[in-house]
Amino acid sequence: MTADDPPRPDPDALLAEATRQGRGRLKVYLGMAPGVGKTYQMLTTGRRLAAEGLDVVVGVVETHGRKDTEALVEGVDVLPRRAVEYRGQSLMEFDLDAALARRPQLLLVDEYAHSNAPGSRHPKRWQDVEELLSAGIDVWTTLNVQHLESLVDVVWKITGVRVKETVPDSALSDADEIELVDITPQELRVRLAAGKVYLPETARLATDNFFKLENLTALREIALRRAAKTVDDQLVGAMRRQGIDGPWAAGERILVLIAGDGMANSLVRAGRRLADLMMDAPWTVAHVERPNSPHRDRSAGRRVAEALKLAEQLGAATVVLTGDDVPQAVIAFARRNNVTQIVIGKTRDSRMRVVLGRSLAQAILRASGDAAVHFVSAGAPDGGAGPAGPALSGPRRRPLRSAIGYLAAIGLVGIANGIAWVLDRYGGGADLAMIFLVSVLVSGLAFGLRPALLASALAVVTYNFFFLEPRFSLQIGHAADIFTFVVFVAVAAVTGWLTGRVRDQALVSANRASAFSALLAASRRLSAASTQDAAAQALAEQASAAASSSAVVLLPRDGELAAAASAPGAVSLSLGAMAAARWAWERGEAAGTGTGTLPEVGWIFRPLVGLRGRAGVAGVEADAGAADVDERLVAAMLDQGAVALERAELADATVENEALRRSDRLRAALFNSISHDLRTPLSTVLGAATTLIDYDASLKPGVRLDLLVSIREEAERLNRYVGDLLDMTRLEGGALKTRAEWTDVRDVLAAAMKRVERRLGERVMKRDFPGELTLVQLDPSLLEQAVVNILENAVAYSPDGTQVEVAVYEDRSNVVISIEDEGPGIPQAEIERIFEKFRRLEEPTDRGRGNPSKGAGLGLSIAKGFIEAMGGRIAAASPIHGAVGTRILISLPKAVATHRLLL
Amino acid sequence: MSDHRPQILVIDDEPQIHRFLAPALDAAGYEPLRAETGQAGLAAIASQACDAVILDLGLPDMDGKQVLTRARAFYSGPILILSARDMEMEKIKALDLGANDYVEKPFRVGELLARLRAALRQRSGPVVAATVVTAGSVEIDLVRRLVTRDGAPVRLSPREYALLARLVEGGGRVLTHQQLLSAVWGPAHADDIQYLRVFMGHLRQKLEAEPSSPRHLVTESGVGYRFVAD
Repeated sequence: MTADDPPRPDPDALLAEATRQGRGRLKVYLGMAPGVGKTYQMLTTGRRLAAEGLDVVVGVVETHGRKDTEALVEGVDVLPRRAVEYRGQSLMEFDLDAALARRPQLLLVDEYAHSNAPGSRHPKRWQDVEELLSAGIDVWTTLNVQHLESLVDVVWKITGVRVKETVPDSALSDADEIELVDITPQELRVRLAAGKVYLPETARLATDNFFKLENLTALREIALRRAAKTVDDQLVGAMRRQGIDGPWAAGERILVLIAGDGMANSLVRAGRRLADLMMDAPWTVAHVERPNSPHRDRSAGRRVAEALKLAEQLGAATVVLTGDDVPQAVIAFARRNNVTQIVIGKTRDSRMRVVLGRSLAQAILRASGDAAVHFVSAGAPDGGAGPAGPALSGPRRRPLRSAIGYLAAIGLVGIANGIAWVLDRYGGGADLAMIFLVSVLVSGLAFGLRPALLASALAVVTYNFFFLEPRFSLQIGHAADIFTFVVFVAVAAVTGWLTGRVRDQALVSANRASAFSALLAASRRLSAASTQDAAAQALAEQASAAASSSAVVLLPRDGELAAAASAPGAVSLSLGAMAAARWAWERGEAAGTGTGTLPEVGWIFRPLVGLRGRAGVAGVEADAGAADVDERLVAAMLDQGAVALERAELADATVENEALRRSDRLRAALFNSISHDLRTPLSTVLGAATTLIDYDASLKPGVRLDLLVSIREEAERLNRYVGDLLDMTRLEGGALKTRAEWTDVRDVLAAAMKRVERRLGERVMKRDFPGELTLVQLDPSLLEQAVVNILENAVAYSPDGTQVEVAVYEDRSNVVISIEDEGPGIPQAEIERIFEKFRRLEEPTDRGRGNPSKGAGLGLSIAKGFIEAMGGRIAAASPIHGAVGTRILISLPKAVATHRLLL
Repeated sequence: MSDHRPQILVIDDEPQIHRFLAPALDAAGYEPLRAETGQAGLAAIASQACDAVILDLGLPDMDGKQVLTRARAFYSGPILILSARDMEMEKIKALDLGANDYVEKPFRVGELLARLRAALRQRSGPVVAATVVTAGSVEIDLVRRLVTRDGAPVRLSPREYALLARLVEGGGRVLTHQQLLSAVWGPAHADDIQYLRVFMGHLRQKLEAEPSSPRHLVTESGVGYRFVAD
């Protein structure tokens, strides 16, 4: 960009502005601690606007029985609260739906960080506010600074209180206005002492600690800085929208590296703070997955997923890298993305790794090049005020199974001791150490790494104690035994470690294999489904199997989401579950258990997002017993399902399109045909008539008669043509109703032959009917029209002096009509297509002979349509007499039901 | 009379058309000739010195326009086109390829014969034998470049006069938009039909008794204009 370029607005800023259009405006009253007077301030201002005529409604305000605050609420419209039953208690909650229905211009909602009662639509009030804003309602709310997600750690360090009710930072930075409600810490303490500050019971315990002067001062500073930063953000945003180049983060990029340990969330929050310091520099949270040593425990995976989710909430980009060499993967990513700041946790690396120089921190520090590396110490564990130990100290296995493994390891070593004792006693000379190695090996293979290590330790000790001289002491007598013992220790440790690892990896591989085979099976089932319903059913069954609980697939039907398939068996969804499903459908986000929306419904609904958009919603019943569900497997399956549903929908649409295209082709053909075939007879009628009128006197009598005859013939031709078109329309439009009555085909044939008699000219029509013929059930008028069409065609295409033969006979299951002519026949290439619409052979032989039977090419097509509508078949064969002739066969099935009906 | 009955060749694949056209032409004093395919028609034009050709555009063996192009290579007599109403583009192409006029199917015999006579007249001498053409109360003197209405001179701009003269010289045959535009404004403006609409409006205002329902400067929808003398 040269200096002469006009300032160009930042597209991102404009885009953000555009999404704000139609949204309500959010104003947050921000304070450093309870009791500074946020609610009071909000209500005072709100009342003033209400007095000025604005439609102001109080959505929810906690007055905590304070008189001055209560007085402010009087006279202002207050929404009634909604009672929510929870564990026998009735909680009075903010009524979101009432607020949405009431649609005030301005809604006052106290306590932005409030957690809603279980069973509410959203778990958090800020999510309610989000929905109100998207509905275009302006909202004012109050917030204490310690509730900000990124400040949780900081507040914990300052006050020792871990805040549970949090709002994501974006909920504050998206506010259109922030008003800081500020009093001095001393003043606040005076108010506190005077009992003017309401504190819930639980908080009272922490009061002394929390309301210390130095704490309040620190919190005040944070609140002031946060308010200042928001003002700053708004300024920068305004500058960007106007295209003014500002002092924003030039090139700073932050990478936060997390692992599955307890520090993940702290690291993310640290990243956010760093990003804030650097004028909102772009930041990415990365986790490295090592394909050859996957998480051995689920809790680590879950912690990573949670931290990544938190990162997204705090405005970070997230990425999962793959690579066995973690430092190398991180540095490669950092280089590629011009990362300038790397944030990593200072974990307790194993001493071995430090000695080997394999510490992650060291490796990254060495390879980081220009990037600054920030270490965050494992200060505040994420587990909250509760016992933080277990969360930190390694994987949470299912205690029972682990215990069995360890017990079994002890038992195995015991057995080894027993066998060794027997051998020692009676066998003599055997190398007893081998017996112990076997027990370690078996422990490792059967129960994994840790039991194996336990077994090897036990084996070493007991072997030494019981079998090495001097016995029953841990001392070793002979020098040779010392060597044996050292080797034994080493072998036992390595054996235990190796077999344990082998088993664990085998388990992981087996899990993966079963996941793959489940996916494969799902993909096979899904790709075999040709209709939407079949695809939905397949998806429901596969998802149910994968999650080992009930699953349901909902598809949009006539604008409403409805259950299209479920497995196993029918599933009935509660109203709440349906609401969650609709939410997932409308917002395109997961809803239900484990999400931010309607977490109490007992189901989790995920939108099925295909290539072209949302195809539907899949729900899986959240079952406490089914904690083993591999989220990624289910997600992959749902992706496949979405694509399969989409494909089925496209296939349906294709069939519809094909039908439309066919009818379009028919219409085009009709137009062509009409322009030529209707106009030609009309031209003849008009031309002949005007000739007669204009030149009556000078015409010879024979010529006059011929002109009159031509008028009649052309009028008849027009009539037939119009009749054909009508028949065709009936067939095409599906309006053809066939009557079924017991009919003697010979009668129908005779009637049809009589109708074409007059057009025979010099041709002869012969009939060959049997004396007796089984009745068939059909529509005689349709059959007659079909036969007339075929006969007319035969006459039109055969020369004078030839013969047309109509025969009928029957075989065991059909009555067959045969119509033969001695015309030129039909070329082999054409015979397949003579029943197509608007198909006619060139040069009918009778042209210009006063017998214009040439139709629009619809006759045979109509005959075929009629015959097939009655369940019969029609076929053509040519040539039949040497090189000439055409035979049309109509076969009409004798009704199977004949006997029953006649008996 | 029977010695120089003009020979009229009818090229049409529909026998029914020949069936009434032959007696009608005969009764009107022409000698009808008949051809049912494009090839036969071309052969007939080449071998028999026919005075005019009536050509159907829809022929089984070749496109009517192709017949027209080939015939124009060696035949300069009038060629009338029979065509369907919904085929404007075909009509325009045929006229641009050298057809003299067209008649839409279905047609009255009287109309066809009138067009035929006009076409034959053009052929019998210079395009307009008379230098003064009368249309209602309007007289157009092509030599003096003078237009009068009820004896009083009418002021026409050079372009208006050029357009009018072109139409009058056409002697009653239709001239396509492109032909008129190329002749009056130059080939570069062959597609600027709006010029024509404006100038035809001016001419009708100045020359027609009822400009909204013109009798002499007639529109041929989608094709062009035609001058009809009395």
